[in-house]
Amino acid sequence: MKISVCIKQVPDVSAPITIKDGTLSQDSDRMVLDAYSASAVEEALVLTGAHGGEVEVVLVGPDKAKETIRKALAMGAASGVHIHVEDMSGLDSAAFAEILAAWHKQSSYDAVLTGKQSQDTDAGLTGGMLAWKLDLPYCANAVGLTYEGGKFLVKRQGDTGQEMVELESPCLVTCSNDMNDPRIPSLKGIMQSKKKPVKTVTLDDLGLSLDGVKGGVVKTEGKGFKDVPGREPGKKFEGDPAELVSQLVNLLDNEAKVL
Amino acid sequence: MSHILVYIAATDGKVKRSSLEVLSHCRKLASENGLKLTAAVLDADPSRYTETLSKYGPDTIFTVKHPVFGNHLNTPVIEALSNIISDSAPRLVAFASTESAKEVMGALSARHQAGALPDVASFTLNGDVVEAERPVMSAKVLSLTSSNSPLVMVSVRSGSYDATEQPGTAAVQEVAFDFDTAGLKNVLKEVLSSAGDKVDLSEAEVVVAAGRGIKDADGVKLVEDLADALGAAIGASRAVTESGLFPATLQIGQTGKVVSPQLYFAVGISGAIQHVAGMANSKVIVAINKDPDAPIFQYATYGLVGDLFKILPLLTEQIRSVKAG
Repeated sequence: MKISVCIKQVPDVSAPITIKDGTLSQDSDRMVLDAYSASAVEEALVLTGAHGGEVEVVLVGPDKAKETIRKALAMGAASGVHIHVEDMSGLDSAAFAEILAAWHKQSSYDAVLTGKQSQDTDAGLTGGMLAWKLDLPYCANAVGLTYEGGKFLVKRQGDTGQEMVELESPCLVTCSNDMNDPRIPSLKGIMQSKKKPVKTVTLDDLGLSLDGVKGGVVKTEGKGFKDVPGREPGKKFEGDPAELVSQLVNLLDNEAKVL
Repeated sequence: MSHILVYIAATDGKVKRSSLEVLSHCRKLASENGLKLTAAVLDADPSRYTETLSKYGPDTIFTVKHPVFGNHLNTPVIEALSNIISDSAPRLVAFASTESAKEVMGALSARHQAGALPDVASFTLNGDVVEAERPVMSAKVLSLTSSNSPLVMVSVRSGSYDATEQPGTAAVQEVAFDFDTAGLKNVLKEVLSSAGDKVDLSEAEVVVAAGRGIKDADGVKLVEDLADALGAAIGASRAVTESGLFPATLQIGQTGKVVSPQLYFAVGISGAIQHVAGMANSKVIVAINKDPDAPIFQYATYGLVGDLFKILPLLTEQIRSVKAG
């Protein structure tokens, strides 16, 4: 079994963020493996661990993103594909789906895994777009994945309850971070990752150009950022629990009228 | 005249409130831009929803009837919506941001080469431009994103707009849908429901959400009792779904569900920004936390500083007595 996992390098969203003149500014320029991507890598490693085969990770990004590919290799992926795009400004989900589709059309796999969204943009579009472009059956927001008799069984979190959906191979699955706890690379894994093959691919190799993608595929444009609006400050009470409760129930019943 | 098409999420005989919110907002945008408003409902028996929908003022309701829509699969939904889009050429297609809408929007926008603006907190349509605000970077900031594409798809977070009625005379248009289920490469095997997961949290009018302060099974029981007294759905912060005290399906926040009830109880929840992103649209927020400096108090309409193990039993009792009249 070969599983191709699309991974993304993202800014460390836990670092403080400020907005200066409509653009984002972070004290740290630390870039990390996206947490949803990490869950996809982990799930692929568990599957190939149980059924044999190997995991290949695919990343679209600048030179600096190589360290993120190494991270996935240190977790246990066998090989990496680095689709080199140095300046990613102006690219949207549709652009990444187009680039990833071009790669997968010339590659072989039993399943493609992606994160259900990424930590920086939270868009959640690329997986579905890629599935459409590759004509693959797919499921989004998977919290479980097994393989039996040539088919993948996905447990996905739906609006009410969890849905068990069987997908024919090849297929695409987008992974939730509730799926697993991604392993921390061991020292041995980190040492081995340095010897694992990473293939660098250019847009030209894929029959694409940056201008062509921007002009033909990109349909949305970032216009800047702003702060999340706060809420009107409310009332805060301290004191004896019985009094607190009486005050609250009175307010809910008579002021807010929500009981 | 072109139109704004709203995909209607409905199950078990009830239209989701979040869809009615989107329909109401789109009615305003349609009127501002000289467009018609249409709604599409896909169901084994779609006619049961048209009366409710017509109260919100669409000019046309497209109904697509097929038993396959009961199967929670993305393929038939994409196929049916795609037919309507190809035949009627909408300017904009809007969805409530449900898990099923999130699943189809990428594929559908790729198929129609549409601009896609997912999970927005607000959006406008001004002639050639659709502009949206979306929480990004773990919901710490809003991103302003626009699309000039002639067809744009938008999914809207629950509670972003009010659902307001405006009765009109909607024409119901049945759309023929010939779908061969034998060719499907995806098959629904089973739907698993847990006890707390029967109601769609995103639609609940009252939510009691539990956080780290709940500590253990005794705390869980107190939360369940309060929810029972209120007739509320139970939610949870990431801390307690990860620890296993509550199932992952109940997680509220940027990576979980977005809720917008009339009344939200945050019990023992500190109020990390990722959690707040999932509940800030609630009308009334009650926070109960022993730490007076917990960030959740910045969002609370009413905040109680104190020990939840003492407060909850009293609160449950008093609410039961108020409810009993």
